[in-house]
Amino acid sequence: MSEQALWLDGNAIAGLLVEIFGTEMTGVVRGCQSCGARNAVGAHRAYRGAGVVLRCPVCSDLALRIAVLPDRHVVQLVGSWTLELPTR
Amino acid sequence: MARAAVLERLTPIAWRVATVEAVVDETPSARTIVLDVPSWPGHTAGQHVDVRLTAEDGYQAQRSYSIASAPEAERLELTVERLDDGEVSPYLTGELRAGDPLELRGPVGGYFTWRAEDGGPLLLVGGGSGVVPLRAMLRHHAARQSDADARLLLSARTAADILYRDELESRPGVRFTLTRERPQGWTGFDRRVDAEMLTAVGPDPAERPRIYVCGPTAFVESVADLLVALGHEPSAVRAERFGPTGG
Repeated sequence: MSEQALWLDGNAIAGLLVEIFGTEMTGVVRGCQSCGARNAVGAHRAYRGAGVVLRCPVCSDLALRIAVLPDRHVVQLVGSWTLELPTR
Repeated sequence: MARAAVLERLTPIAWRVATVEAVVDETPSARTIVLDVPSWPGHTAGQHVDVRLTAEDGYQAQRSYSIASAPEAERLELTVERLDDGEVSPYLTGELRAGDPLELRGPVGGYFTWRAEDGGPLLLVGGGSGVVPLRAMLRHHAARQSDADARLLLSARTAADILYRDELESRPGVRFTLTRERPQGWTGFDRRVDAEMLTAVGPDPAERPRIYVCGPTAFVESVADLLVALGHEPSAVRAERFGPTGG
């Protein structure tokens, strides 16, 4: 158990996701276009670097890429996402 | 609708300036920060907040910390473990004083959460400071006088590293394991979490418990694998990992 994996749960980027999508996202279920697994965003694997990458917990295929720039976020979504966004 | 309420709705993740009411040393390396947060919207046990520190030159560092207090509590509590090479935790556990402001946003996270109405049985497994969100769940359980069977297994390096020891020992269904020492008179487990230990703590997979595992990534991986091998549904095992990006 001495080896530290380099990823966290999707849950760890909950704050950033609310900032971008305006609503709580970790309970959203995403279907992977690669392996077909359906998992909550909070159960995906989050890799942080200059931005954030979210990967399928089963096959590690790309699920979400967020580049954090000074004036905007650039967001790329992969797979099947069903979002329920509150009306304003 | 009041203007403040409208703004709140349009910016669900606004940064707020909380005031430190008290700091409480829990162990030699962990401290609880008691906060008064203006217009705190309330939280669910298991959620966390993002904390942001800003240096005089504008440099900002941001980290996530689990909420230690129950939703029913009047004050928000965070318990922070100091990572010596960390950027944020040494300040929070060393410099921060009562009366200081602290910038935070949240609560966030809807996945690793438990409400009394979700019911049980409940199996909580914590590694080190991974017990923090689990303590919020147990306090919520107590505040709501839930009759759900709730059990906690907490793994710590040494007895001195056990967070909230007195509080947890007063509860039924709480077991500790130490991985680096076995003090005289110790009646808990004294090894890394294994299948035999998880079976002893229970509940049985046939009871379909809701399971929450929180701790360092390798700890969570190991425990989650053991639980699934014992026959627990993978979807019943919720995990929250602390990784190298913390501190």
